Amino acid sequence: MVISWWSGWYAKWILSRLEWMSVLRNPARFLTDPLRGAMQRWLSRRAPRSRSITLNHSRLFILPTRAGLGFLLVIMLLWLLGTNYENNLVFALTFLLVSVFVVLPVHTFANLTGLRLQLLGTSPAFAGDFAEAQINISREDKREREWIRLCWLPEEGAYLDLCEQASEDIRISMPVVERGRVQAPRLRIESRFPLGLFRCWSRIDLDVEFLVYPRPISAGPLPFGGVQTEGDFGEVRHGGDDFSALKAYQPGDSLRHVAWKQYAAGRDLYSKDYESRTDVRLWLDWALLDGRDVETRLSNLCYWCLQAEKQGIVYGLRLPGVVIEPSLGPSHQREMLQALALFPKWGS
Amino acid sequence: MATTQDLLPRESLLWIFAAQFVALLPQFTQLPLWVPLAWAFAVYWRLEVFRGRRDLPGRTLKLLVILLTMAGLAISYRRWFALEPMVALLTLSFTLKNLELVSRRDAFVSLLLAYFVAATLFVREQTIPYALYGLLSVVVITAALAAQLGSFSARPRRALGLSLRLLAQATPLMLLLFVVMPRLGPLWSVPQVTSAGRTGVSDSMAPGDFTRLSKSDKPALRISFDGPIPPPEQRYWRGLVYSEFDGRTWRQGVGVDPRNGGQVYWKSGERPLPQVGPRYRYQVIQEASRSPWLFALARPVSDSSGVGETLDDRLVKHSPVYSRFAYEVRSWPRGSRNMSASLSRAERNRNLQLPPSGNERTREWAESLGRRGLGAEEISARLLARYNREFTYTLSPPALGSDSVDEFLFGSQQGFCEHFAGSYVFAMRAAGVPARVVAGYQGGEWVSGERYLLVREYDAHAWAEIWLDGRGWQRVDPTAAVSPERVRDGLESAAGEEFMQDSLLPLHRVDILVKLRLQWDMINYRWHQTVVSFDSEKQRDTLQRLLGDISPLRMALLFAVPCALLFLGALLWIWCSGRARKLPAAERFYQKFCQRMARAGVVRRSGEAPRDYALRITREKPQLASLTQRVTSAFERAAYGGDAEAAKELRRLVKRHFGLLDLASVQVDKLKQAGR
Repeated sequence: MVISWWSGWYAKWILSRLEWMSVLRNPARFLTDPLRGAMQRWLSRRAPRSRSITLNHSRLFILPTRAGLGFLLVIMLLWLLGTNYENNLVFALTFLLVSVFVVLPVHTFANLTGLRLQLLGTSPAFAGDFAEAQINISREDKREREWIRLCWLPEEGAYLDLCEQASEDIRISMPVVERGRVQAPRLRIESRFPLGLFRCWSRIDLDVEFLVYPRPISAGPLPFGGVQTEGDFGEVRHGGDDFSALKAYQPGDSLRHVAWKQYAAGRDLYSKDYESRTDVRLWLDWALLDGRDVETRLSNLCYWCLQAEKQGIVYGLRLPGVVIEPSLGPSHQREMLQALALFPKWGS
Repeated sequence: MATTQDLLPRESLLWIFAAQFVALLPQFTQLPLWVPLAWAFAVYWRLEVFRGRRDLPGRTLKLLVILLTMAGLAISYRRWFALEPMVALLTLSFTLKNLELVSRRDAFVSLLLAYFVAATLFVREQTIPYALYGLLSVVVITAALAAQLGSFSARPRRALGLSLRLLAQATPLMLLLFVVMPRLGPLWSVPQVTSAGRTGVSDSMAPGDFTRLSKSDKPALRISFDGPIPPPEQRYWRGLVYSEFDGRTWRQGVGVDPRNGGQVYWKSGERPLPQVGPRYRYQVIQEASRSPWLFALARPVSDSSGVGETLDDRLVKHSPVYSRFAYEVRSWPRGSRNMSASLSRAERNRNLQLPPSGNERTREWAESLGRRGLGAEEISARLLARYNREFTYTLSPPALGSDSVDEFLFGSQQGFCEHFAGSYVFAMRAAGVPARVVAGYQGGEWVSGERYLLVREYDAHAWAEIWLDGRGWQRVDPTAAVSPERVRDGLESAAGEEFMQDSLLPLHRVDILVKLRLQWDMINYRWHQTVVSFDSEKQRDTLQRLLGDISPLRMALLFAVPCALLFLGALLWIWCSGRARKLPAAERFYQKFCQRMARAGVVRRSGEAPRDYALRITREKPQLASLTQRVTSAFERAAYGGDAEAAKELRRLVKRHFGLLDLASVQVDKLKQAGR
């Protein structure tokens, strides 16, 4: 008891040492890490997560862009020109540009404030691909909005204008690397309207969560018959060559299988049931891929899923703790892929 | 590396070229022809690149182009420290930038440079048309900046409208800054405009010079008086004194010309002021003449900076007058400010100088007068009487040969002011009286609305001064002896039909146009008085008028009050602009409930249905189960069923349980639980 407590404490101590050593290796982290953490905490207090967000002064930030700083430089040069030549018209131009620089941020801010963003939904994606979210942006006032950029940095994202229409749906995407449920980082909405000298932006958390399937990695041809039929577990496949029994006809049974002879003899309508003893049903089994690591196994299974669906072969899935009966069709595929995506991660 | 997003679209390029064209157009007229051609070529090349027919020039080609333009500049100007080559250099770098106009960043650099190019226009000229044109270029450049964002903003009407709106909103603050911002003097010496030809009275006088000036009605001086106004026959605006004659041309001469050894007193305290006060106080606004001569009544003193006094009683400027220049002058009455009662030997010799030979007849005639022992005044009177009897005043005198004075005095006997002044001084010198020619303007036209005197180029005049022992330099105007109207009423009445005869359109004969021209001149005068010559002194006056007294507190108030008001307005607007629409009452109360639950430890997950949330609360906090049940069912009925009663119930539930005592009620629930 005491020993285990001690060892736990000791492990913690070593971990904290390691943490410190990593800080020593990269001294900048010493400053940036706490700052980044504080920034995130501050942002989450100031602009909390929600599926529908209206932009306002507490969420929007505004600063001059590089071009804006260049504009200030030009103002400085003009002031020097006016001072040295004692030229009042150059002064007037200088002060006009200064005043424009003062007026601009109001316009830039007005271009974003009052916009309402709403998450409409997300579509699942494969790891290594781009996941896409559908977002609706609308304005409630009459002001025209222009040149709004919505993105997950460093992606280019999407640009949109709200001039004639008051609302627009857009799709923006971000690359996803890991499978599972992936919480998207804060979305960046920014605008440089009207002259590009100021950038107004906000980092909003629309509570975007992607379902990310494993990355499909080829694992050879589909493993037909690779699964040993054991006991009475699902080895019988209906629709084979050998007659097995008569059963009551149900609407939808093939007319070729109707027992016309018996029907002619005045009995009820029966259909002949055939079954196959050779089990050709496709099981995508965790155990088939023994010896590879978890993620690779899942990736390979994912690849097979896609292949089977494409070739129209009925397939099922066996994972530790999950069994999905063989079937076919989009909803079946979605179920399979979701199971693969949500398979517990190693170590968690 | 520029990404595809950063590449310039078509409308962006066209806007940049439009802004460049507007900023460069007035410069093109001043620059050598090859500069605008280079610009047009660069634009053409860039458009060809846009169409995909050509590549952007490579590094060697660019280097070659830069070397070529530098060589071109060196050949065209031969000097660097002047305004024109600087502007040409700026224009060329602006032009060459087009050959590497690739990304949005390049576009910004080009447009920011355009503002600067537009401003250099004002260094050349500060008149109203130029100011309006400068404003136009700023509107276009700002519109081009707006259009850089593309799509909707790039439409011409939208971009120009946006630009106009921004500039209009910026104007009030601009005016405030214009009045309040302190003006420092020049920080270092800067190159000036040098190339344009000199206008007005020049530093030498040959027959025909003043006839040329008489054909121009351009304004030269505008003079406003503070106090008494001199009568017309006293309005002699002295600018230059010519002492040296070479037989044809009168010059200032070595030791008189301030650029050639003449002494100038630059500080106003250098020479003592007389006991009596000045007779006239006035301000002169002089048009650009590109020479340093200033014009004032006799015996002037000026406190304006950069203005000095010479020994021969006139004012000069430190550097040539390259743009309109205003100076304050006080002039003293005769006798009060005669610096020397006697003429020094050198002065006397200089003012008796004559070329060694030529004009023998005049010399003889004058010497005969001198030999008879007549005084200076009598000789002058005889000469003037001769002018009066036999001579005519004309704007188109016949050409004169090498002995110009002889030919004029004994031959043609027709002349303009320079003939009379020149021959008079020659004759006086020959007779042994020190004399000199003075050039400047005489007269002027009242612009009644503003009470200022407008002196035009055709008012240029030359007269004489003779030295009278005991009385000093005395003004004599030989022209007045021939044509008194010239001095009293101006050139127009003196010359009659000849006045402005050669001008393309005889506009001076149309009465209404003359009035309109005077009106326009008045507007120009006001413009110059209020805007162009607004210096630190006028700034102080204006502020004093506005504030009563310039204290830091009042200055702060003047600046801070409008700023604070603007700021407050902006804050209010910002506060209101971002407010979301109000949620329905049921939603609002339910959200309040969710908040309270979150505080109690059960946070509603995003997208979680109310019923699921209620189940979870029941599971995790059984003591809140009944309340949750009631709230949830009331909310569902109110929000989805539109049940008004349910809405009221929800409100009551939330208010009662989560008023100030919400936490306490949770505690009570807990106690009850424990008691059971």
